Amino acid sequence: MSHWLPYHPTSDAPWNMGRVVHLHRRVIFGACWSEIERDLASDPQTAVTRVLDGSARQERVPADFEQIAEAIGSSAADSGDVARLQAWWLYRCLNTSDPLRERLALMWHNHFATSNLKVNDLRLMKQQNEILRKHALDRFGDLFREVAHNPALLIWLDAPSNRAGQANENLARESMELFALGVGHFTEKDVKEAARALTGWNVRGDTFVAIPEMHDAGVKTILDRTGTWSGDDLLRILLEQPALSRRLAWRLTNEFFAENVVSEAALSEFARGLAEHQLDIRWGVETILRSELFFSSANLGTRVNDPVSFVLMPLRAFELSNNPPSTLVLADYVGRMGQELFCPPNVGGWSGGRAWLSTRAVVARANYAEALVEGRLSSPVRPIDPTKVVGHRAAASSVTNMIRATSELLFGESHDAVVRSVAEGVGTQPSTGRALRNALVELLRQPEAQLH
Amino acid sequence: MVTRRHFLQTSAIVSLSPWIPMFLSRSIAAPNSTRDGRILVVVQLDGGNDGLNTVIPFGDENYARHRPTLKIAASKVRKLDKTIGLHPQMKGAAKLFEAGRLAIVQGVGYPNPNRSHFESMSIWQHGRLDPARHDGIGWLGRAADGWHRPGSSVSDSVFVGPEAIPVALRGTRANAISMDSDSDLQLSSPATRHRGSANSDDVSNYVGRTLDRTYEAARRFNESQTSIPVDTPYPGTELANHLKLVSRLIKMDGGTRVFYVSQSGYDTHSAQAEQHGRLLGGFSAAIEAFLNDLRQARLDDRVVVMAFSEFGRRVQENASGGTDHGAAAPMFIAGKPVHGGLINAHPSLVDLDAGDLKMSVDFRQVYETILTDWLGLNSVSILGKKFAPLKLFA
Repeated sequence: MSHWLPYHPTSDAPWNMGRVVHLHRRVIFGACWSEIERDLASDPQTAVTRVLDGSARQERVPADFEQIAEAIGSSAADSGDVARLQAWWLYRCLNTSDPLRERLALMWHNHFATSNLKVNDLRLMKQQNEILRKHALDRFGDLFREVAHNPALLIWLDAPSNRAGQANENLARESMELFALGVGHFTEKDVKEAARALTGWNVRGDTFVAIPEMHDAGVKTILDRTGTWSGDDLLRILLEQPALSRRLAWRLTNEFFAENVVSEAALSEFARGLAEHQLDIRWGVETILRSELFFSSANLGTRVNDPVSFVLMPLRAFELSNNPPSTLVLADYVGRMGQELFCPPNVGGWSGGRAWLSTRAVVARANYAEALVEGRLSSPVRPIDPTKVVGHRAAASSVTNMIRATSELLFGESHDAVVRSVAEGVGTQPSTGRALRNALVELLRQPEAQLH
Repeated sequence: MVTRRHFLQTSAIVSLSPWIPMFLSRSIAAPNSTRDGRILVVVQLDGGNDGLNTVIPFGDENYARHRPTLKIAASKVRKLDKTIGLHPQMKGAAKLFEAGRLAIVQGVGYPNPNRSHFESMSIWQHGRLDPARHDGIGWLGRAADGWHRPGSSVSDSVFVGPEAIPVALRGTRANAISMDSDSDLQLSSPATRHRGSANSDDVSNYVGRTLDRTYEAARRFNESQTSIPVDTPYPGTELANHLKLVSRLIKMDGGTRVFYVSQSGYDTHSAQAEQHGRLLGGFSAAIEAFLNDLRQARLDDRVVVMAFSEFGRRVQENASGGTDHGAAAPMFIAGKPVHGGLINAHPSLVDLDAGDLKMSVDFRQVYETILTDWLGLNSVSILGKKFAPLKLFA
């Protein structure tokens, strides 16, 4: 694994605030001062271990988190209001002790992108979501099998209308193209034959059924293998394809790396490693997070963040989780920024990266920054006290000092240019509190805030 | 000839134009062909428009016989020729027709008509008849999949309205967004243009440029609400508001090629007369205002409007002063590039199919013509096969 050596600090790549914040922002929605200071005082591999074993957030996790979350989630699913289920997921991301699992559930939601616009049943959407969470770090085969045997995906991809003699290729095609192999690793003939293997897969109530009378029991040839294949056989065949480890390697690196950081050789080596480890997702994530490559300069602050990360990052940094904004309002903003959870734009999921920054989304990000700082995310309105944000770290004696300290908290570093730009934007204000709040808004409207 | 784009790119007047920033912003990704500048605006008349009382065969004695209470007197109809006329409320549409900017395709439908709102709308939006192939990917979504650039933040299509993005626009790769109102482009407070990027990294520069561009575009968008005089007033209806927003977006020229709006309320099972008149009046006035606005902005040679409904209504009116779900109905294609006039004969009021008008033009022929002749796309990959085109464009 020559491309995936573990990271050890060097003079060129020191374990500094920039790298601590990078780990927290890229992977688990940001950090507060105490977490940054704790990790800075230990070593990077220990910090990564905390992320992996769900102990990165030690403070401010409600003791009865799972019970509260379940109460919110089940009533949201029953309500039929997708905004409430979105709010539930954001509540989980913000308050869980294991944010890595939520990050990966978001990734799998994008991989098995299923929309409630067609499924039209939030209980089924939540059921699928729980599978994504449960198997988030397991072997990919366990995840794929359970998602594929679950109603939401089957309804989404028209499995019920796929019957012997009357094929609907939707599930077969996307299983090959998007979930497992990628374009170029199968033929149209494979799709047709795979669709036959999947005939009879159906939904009764809220459970999966295989209906023998609707199944085409004949001989099929899928990816050069011939037999009287069933849907389960198809999944087994797909899981044995060499192209799958490559697809999975792409998915994982695409989640944690900026553009052009992972070379072709590194990707191939990573794919081989995944294959050798039975497509164990935890192995893959651990390998990435511990790597030199993950902490390389080229990977720092060079990826456009997703709306969920953008929205949660300042909440974690400013430690607002004890006095939380309405998660329904957060969900609304996340939607305006283009990440309508449970309603991905299509089966390919969100394009991500630079495509997050549509005109409407950038306006929503800028408005969110102001709403957050002015306290309009909660009711009654409670503006942030900027002196408390960095109070115990840097004397907020001047606007410039405050900008510098907050910039370090948010971005892991403060460039003079950023500080100058923000200070100029704020100008000379009559009221210090207002000037400081304006500076916070400006900081969150900087390019650095849209990157992680 | 100097094209509008060429003019804007080279003229010193550029800096004075309120919609320039977005226009320039797309110059990197801008397609070269002028055809790529062409825009389609779809208006969905939701609920099943009573085509028979929209484009009215007033010269046919059977019309009055089937519509004892709902018939529009020949004297009130806005006559298009000796036998066909528009609903009296459709003043704007009649003017567009006179000016040769409105084509009305009569008798549009598809074989074995489905009279369920949901299923028929699904057929129109998918551009596919077989319900088993209704996979949530629409005809315009498939079209946009073809031109979409991976990683591009340009919205291939924009739905303006409070509802979810319609199936018609959803693709497997295409970037469709929805906006409900101007407020989606309104900054709550002015955003400062920041430094030129301190970091030389590509992504960072891209983000910096994008933010600057967007903040600037939003600022000007908001300014444009007051600084661009709207010489052509819009009516106060929701449809008109949505089209006004579409017009603003077109002027900002973000590279979007398809816009989609809808007007609901056409499911007139009872007491139809007043409601239907109001809807048609609103539709007609909104389209007229929209096209006049674009003409004022000299963008009217780039925009075509297409209006459809999921089905027409039963020929015989019902006992509640309304009409029930039917089949064939007219479609409207409007704009300067359109070859105006009545296209195809009005369906017979005698030779009916279970009480409904028979279709004689497949709606996919209209799609075919728009995809091929207007948007310059290969229709076969979108519609599955070639359909006989119509003469819709000049």
